[in-house]
Amino acid sequence: MSENTCVLTAEQLVYRYPKQIESALNCVSLRLERGQAVGLLGPNGSGKSTLINLLNGLRAPQGGHISYDTGHPPIVAWVPQEYAFYPDLSCRENLRFFAGMLDATAHDATRRVESALSACLLHEFAERRARHCSGGVRRRLNLGIALLQQPDVLLLDEPTVGVDPQSRRFLLDRVRDLMRAGTAVLYATHYMEEVSAMCSQVLLLDHGRVLASGALETLLRGEGDVPFANLEALFTHHTQRGLRD
Amino acid sequence: MNRDHRLSKLLHLVIKEWRLLLRNPHGLAALFLMPSAFVLVMSFTLKNTLIVRLPLPATGWVLEDKSPIAAQWSREWLARPDMKRFLSREELKAALKARQVDAGIIVHAGWLGDDGRPRAEELEIWLGNRVQPAAAARLRAELSFSMLQVQMKIAAAEAGPFASVLLSSASSSELLPERGAPTIRYLYEIESGRTMTAVQQSVPAWLIFGMFFVVIPIAGVLIQERNDRTLTRLTTFGVTPGLVLAGKLIAFMLLNWVQLAFMLLVGRVLVPLLGGDALNLNIALGWFLLMVAATSAAAVGLGLLIAARTRSFEHAAALGGGINVILAAIAGVMVPRMLMPPTLQTVSENSPMGWALDGMQSVFLGDPDAAFILPRAALLLAFAAVCLLLSWRPIRHQEPA
Repeated sequence: MSENTCVLTAEQLVYRYPKQIESALNCVSLRLERGQAVGLLGPNGSGKSTLINLLNGLRAPQGGHISYDTGHPPIVAWVPQEYAFYPDLSCRENLRFFAGMLDATAHDATRRVESALSACLLHEFAERRARHCSGGVRRRLNLGIALLQQPDVLLLDEPTVGVDPQSRRFLLDRVRDLMRAGTAVLYATHYMEEVSAMCSQVLLLDHGRVLASGALETLLRGEGDVPFANLEALFTHHTQRGLRD
Repeated sequence: MNRDHRLSKLLHLVIKEWRLLLRNPHGLAALFLMPSAFVLVMSFTLKNTLIVRLPLPATGWVLEDKSPIAAQWSREWLARPDMKRFLSREELKAALKARQVDAGIIVHAGWLGDDGRPRAEELEIWLGNRVQPAAAARLRAELSFSMLQVQMKIAAAEAGPFASVLLSSASSSELLPERGAPTIRYLYEIESGRTMTAVQQSVPAWLIFGMFFVVIPIAGVLIQERNDRTLTRLTTFGVTPGLVLAGKLIAFMLLNWVQLAFMLLVGRVLVPLLGGDALNLNIALGWFLLMVAATSAAAVGLGLLIAARTRSFEHAAALGGGINVILAAIAGVMVPRMLMPPTLQTVSENSPMGWALDGMQSVFLGDPDAAFILPRAALLLAFAAVCLLLSWRPIRHQEPA
């Protein structure tokens, strides 16, 4: 399969939560390609999490559709912002448990656990209960659990919140490794510098609508004569400065 | 997902629940130590309430009536074991406080009336704080009989020498003999041929109470899974809510069986080791298994419902613990139903823990029959089904209702 093959296409997605007047997502389109990362930006409540929930199959779109150019549904893995594992299990027990939830043989599950331990440098902490691990190790475990699925598409929801610069660099390097291996990445974050460093494409949402979408370089050039100084300037230009919460 | 994969996932889910449980010392204490402690305490506490004839408490006497009849009557009483004479009320009070005696009798001046008959209202009974009501009731009954005897003697003396001779040798112990008293038997004793002991009542009662406390570990895990979005993550791994629910049901119903084994050991080994009666395990196995399974389903169902419908562990623990204590109090786990007023007894018989207690005690007392056990097991299973139904939606949507 060649580089930049589209893995997943979402077109004109619409979703409205029950008992809500406004749509959480309104005609949002997105393309995820092999080996590329799309930065998903937007203020709190803009619809980022709803979009992620539609892409990982937790919710079904009420309008629009999601298609797969590869002919079969890709494996989509999700790294939530929360530490979505069991703090009273060790890192290895957590990985074993989630590997056990895959439709894999026992041998394959063990291999995937060892691979995740290695990829996220967790061997040193493998027998330590997750509760007793640092924030950085827990973030790595959170990513490692997603890697067990050997995903075609990785949905990252603020994966570096609350970690030190070393851990952040490590996590970003791992995501780059995955991209090099052909994984398509959707990277939702409030850290503009991470998007600038990782993503060639950007999708900016607010109130469930797309405010800006496309190649990062193109968007930074702007529509007028004056380009945006950086991604934060672009973000503020589109979403305004007023507080949202 | 094929059948093998589904079973493998279920096994992983069950093992995960057990691992988490074994690392939760507070949950284990609530499930094992608390009901065991209750069995021990209640087996010894209730030991005497189920004995029809209790020994009289050690009693001190203060004789303020100076009549010869009063002196003769009190002499007969003081000849019994554990009876002691005191010169004043102050002395008696001090002896009660020092626990030298457990009860006191004050024979007021004027006990023997002007008509030459003893008057019950001139007799006062003092009780130490540790005297059981049943022992006090026996003391009062014996005093009444004894005074009746005095009256009869006086009447006989007035009637003539022949009648007086007939009664002269009678003593109070012959009126209320230790041997030859009427036999009193409860219905379950008649049906089963066994004597009800405190341990036979306490083990099933507190086992049920302990089983319902699975709400603590269930809530601890489920609420954390929901709040940390681990349940959502499991969904992205292709794990259905039904499979999650099945994993929890199996794990915690298995746990109930471990609790059962532990409580049987307590009743069979620990209680007799400390001087109590041993639990009689000559029980009908089929009915026993049915009652344990039905009770376990109801307990886990209620635990899942409370965990599914509360937002925090603190909320679930307070609500679950409170509901369990109330259900146990209503059912007669804490206080035997025989001590409740009739209306409360009816309510008690129609409550979830009441169905479990009745069915389980009928098994433990050795007189189970289908007409008694089956409706109670069915009610417990229906209760479990309703609880699971009500907890399904919040578990499916991974948010408290």
